[in-house]
Amino acid sequence: MNLSKHDPETDMDLDMTPMIDVVFLLIIFFMIITDLTQQELEDLELPTATHAVADKIKPGEWRPIINIPYDGQMVVKREIYYDPEVNDSQAQPYLRVKEWLSLVADKMSQEHFNAEAGTGPMIPDDFLLIRADQSTAFRHIQKLMAFCGEKGVQIWKVQLAASEPPSEDGQ
Amino acid sequence: MTQLSEIQTEKHELEMTPMIDVTFLLLIFFMCTLKFKTLEGKLAAYLPKDVGVNSDDSEPIEKVEILLQVVTEGNKLDPYGQPWVGDGRFIYDNTRVIQYSVGARKTNSLAEISKRIADLHKQDDERPATIDARPGVVYGDVVKILDEAMTAGFTDITFVGAYDVK
Repeated sequence: MNLSKHDPETDMDLDMTPMIDVVFLLIIFFMIITDLTQQELEDLELPTATHAVADKIKPGEWRPIINIPYDGQMVVKREIYYDPEVNDSQAQPYLRVKEWLSLVADKMSQEHFNAEAGTGPMIPDDFLLIRADQSTAFRHIQKLMAFCGEKGVQIWKVQLAASEPPSEDGQ
Repeated sequence: MTQLSEIQTEKHELEMTPMIDVTFLLLIFFMCTLKFKTLEGKLAAYLPKDVGVNSDDSEPIEKVEILLQVVTEGNKLDPYGQPWVGDGRFIYDNTRVIQYSVGARKTNSLAEISKRIADLHKQDDERPATIDARPGVVYGDVVKILDEAMTAGFTDITFVGAYDVK
C-alpha cells in the first residue's frame, strides 16, 4: 500500500537556513527603526494627567524635546547637556543647555509679541516639549523655564509631557 | 539496489512549527514596540511672556494664583514598591503631603483645592491661573495640579515664581 501522498516530481527540499537569516534581518531592521524613532525620548516615568492630549506630530514636523530625569540631568537626543554631578563645579554649568535653547529658538517660527495687534518684537511661536520624571525636583524644570525666558531665547510656549491614565475598561 | 532506492525516496518534510513560532515572536515584538509610542501625552502650558526682556504694558489682570508647598516629603520607594536604597529612580509614596494655597484658602487636599479653583473659575472664567511651586515640589505634583486646573476649565495657565532657586 502506498500511503504516501507526496508526488516526487513537485516536492521541494526546503532549506531552513536562509529563512532564519531573513527573520534575523527583519528583527534587526525593526529594532533599529524603533531605536531611531525613540531616540529623543529618555526612559522615565511620566506622571499621569487626565487632560493629556495624545502627542501626535506630523511625520517630518520638528518639535524640540528636552528630557529631565529624576537626577536633574538635562538630556537632548540621548546626549547629556547638563549633569549636576559634572557641571555644577564649572563656571557656566548650563552653557550647553543655553546654547541649544538659543539654536532652537532661532529655528522656531516667529510671531509678534502682541500677536493680535501684530506689534512688538518677534518671539518664537512653537512649543518646546519638556519630559520629566514624576519625581524630578520641579526646580530643575523651573531652571529650564528661566532659561527659556532669557534674552536670545524667549520661548514661551511649553508642553509638559504626561501619560494618559490607564482606562478603567482595560481598552 | 535497495540503497539506491532509499536515497531516491528520501524526502524532507517541511516543518511548519518553527515558522509559526517565529511568526508569533515577530507579532509579539511589534505589539510591544507599538504600545510604547502611543502612551505619551502632553499638556500645553505657558511661561509668562514678560519674564526677562519684554514687558507687557497692559494693566495687571487678577489671576488665580495657586501656590504649592511641601508639608511632608514622604517616603521614597523604588519602582517596585520597596524602600529606596539611594540608587536609581524613586517615587514618593502616599505619605507625601503638599499644601495648596489659593488666596487665603489653604488645604492639603487636592480634591478640596480642585473644587475651590473650579468655583473661582465659574465666578469669572476670563481669569488666568498661575502655578507657583516652591522648593521641594516635584514634577508629578505640578502635573497633578495642572491637570486639576484644566479640569476646572482654565485655559490660560502660566508658571511663575522661584526662578532663581538653585
